[in-house]
Amino acid sequence: MPKWGMVIDLETCTGCQACTTACAMENNRLPGENWQDVLFYSEGEYPNLNLSWLPRPCMQCENPSCVSVCPTKATYKDEGTGIVLVDWNKCIGCKYCMVACPYGVRFYMDEAPAVEPDVRAEFPASGRRSWNPPFKMPDEYEDASKGIGIQPKGVVSKCTFCYHKVSQAPAGVADLDEDNPETKEFTPACVRVCAPKSRFFGDLDNPDSHVNALIAEKGGVRLKEETGNKPQVYYLSGGGSPAVPGNRSRRS
Amino acid sequence: MAMMTDTAPTSGHDTQGRGSHFLLHLIVALVLLALGGGYALTEILEFGKVQFNTNNAGIHWGMAIVTYDYFLLTSTGLAMVASLWHVFGMAEFAPIARRALWLAMAGLVGGVAVLFLELGAPLTALWATPLNMQFASPLFWKVLLVGAYAISLAIVLFGMINKPDAGRNPLMILVGGLALAVTLVAGLVYGMMAMRPVWFGGEIPVVFLIESFVGALAFTMFFSHLKNGFNHSNMRPDTRALFEGTLARMFAIAIALHFILHAGRAITGLWSNAEGMQVWGYMTAQPLFHIALWGCVALPFVLMVLPGTRSNGMMQIVAAALVMIGLLISRYEFIIGGQMVPMFKGTWAPELLSYSPSTGEWALLVLAVGLANTVYAFGAWKLGAEDRA
Repeated sequence: MPKWGMVIDLETCTGCQACTTACAMENNRLPGENWQDVLFYSEGEYPNLNLSWLPRPCMQCENPSCVSVCPTKATYKDEGTGIVLVDWNKCIGCKYCMVACPYGVRFYMDEAPAVEPDVRAEFPASGRRSWNPPFKMPDEYEDASKGIGIQPKGVVSKCTFCYHKVSQAPAGVADLDEDNPETKEFTPACVRVCAPKSRFFGDLDNPDSHVNALIAEKGGVRLKEETGNKPQVYYLSGGGSPAVPGNRSRRS
Repeated sequence: MAMMTDTAPTSGHDTQGRGSHFLLHLIVALVLLALGGGYALTEILEFGKVQFNTNNAGIHWGMAIVTYDYFLLTSTGLAMVASLWHVFGMAEFAPIARRALWLAMAGLVGGVAVLFLELGAPLTALWATPLNMQFASPLFWKVLLVGAYAISLAIVLFGMINKPDAGRNPLMILVGGLALAVTLVAGLVYGMMAMRPVWFGGEIPVVFLIESFVGALAFTMFFSHLKNGFNHSNMRPDTRALFEGTLARMFAIAIALHFILHAGRAITGLWSNAEGMQVWGYMTAQPLFHIALWGCVALPFVLMVLPGTRSNGMMQIVAAALVMIGLLISRYEFIIGGQMVPMFKGTWAPELLSYSPSTGEWALLVLAVGLANTVYAFGAWKLGAEDRA
């Protein structure tokens, strides 16, 4: 069984947010609450300042703290793919997983809108759905037990690595590449649209995968290793560690 | 059998007066419940929890969780205070044990009610938590222990209804043990979070234990004086001896321990350069921190240390009230402060996150106060909560 992972090359990422937009469209995200985001960091004061950015999906950790703290096992690690998912049928909305995630990549539905107007009021839905987006994914893709679809009220959601696509990939494939016609349709939306091709997606357990080669050859590193969560998302930064400013240095 | 209370025996007219006192307490509590609950429920039903000031940027647990934990820990502390008589046989505490247990149930009901209004899917929690056995989650254990604590406490109280001479109850070993376990696990919920430096640490369960106990002593003291019309001389001699002696001294020691832990964590946090600990610099620059530390911890400590004020009923009431308020502030600063450092939000959240409770979240606190007092006052009025154990 594959252990899907992602490699993001910070040297080629332009911060264009195409990945963010594609993710939002693919996964019915509320505006401003992006499972996949490109975070910008400004440091210093004019004229001595620096602007940097960091693409940040869910890290799909090998040892995820969100899974450990969930009191109902609503958050779980899918054994077939290594992807961390949320079962909306079991989620009680306690938000402990959000508290415990070192990467801030979880989203609760019943919060004030990040962007006005509140699209939930503009596109109201009936039943369990919290809203009825005009660009929603096909109904057959929706699976509440995996946190895929339109997020219901009172539950937490997160990036699924586009599980609804990835899980349909042919068995044994080492990489899911948008340039490969055979794997294009199974490639996560954020990877598929990345114009500078900064994102790579493949099986971390497959020694022949391109992602493993990139990690080995270019010194892939993971964020916040000290937490022990062991992300399955690796960053390439030209040999150094990812240039992510600390919280203090953000205060310019 | 005539009702025995820890009020000094007087005339039948006074007994009738006490009944009206509890009825008045109940009416006031119901008014608070109607105001707080009415506002909060109306808002939640009409708008959902989007009116709360929690957010996806990082403040996930707001005033509702502060209120829940405050009432829960007060409840467990009160059960531990009652255990001093029921479990350890400290006869001095017999006059207040029954009151402490009813207050424990009152606090538990108030806190859990707020939690249910805060949870996204509270009904799912009722079956999904016990059935899925997530042993690694401290919240799983907390839910299980709180459930067991609530049931065992209810059984003990049910057996006490209108039985003034109930004596020591061996089931209180279970209640006291569960209260202790709930308190420690409540601390673990925060203390295990290595990614939240303000919370992380093995000392947090101990901090919670001390805060729980000092809060319970404050509530016991305040409600005992309330029961006696805030008139020290109305107390029975043995109760007064407890309040002027062991209880007041124990209260002073507990406050001192609370001060040491509170100030110690603040100093450690200010000294540390670790990422995330800058919250302490922010918190200690706020007036609320100093109101809590100096006004609501240090001042009550002084009042309870000096012999002249320690045995003074009015000073005890002031000290108890200050500690009750201070603990709420401390719980607020602890829970909110631990979430103020945004995790990977970049310029979307460039500074420490800010939070202040919305009107609806304040209403939840009023609801909890109203509901807890309703339970206690009704118990005192009709179920013998103030009968002498």
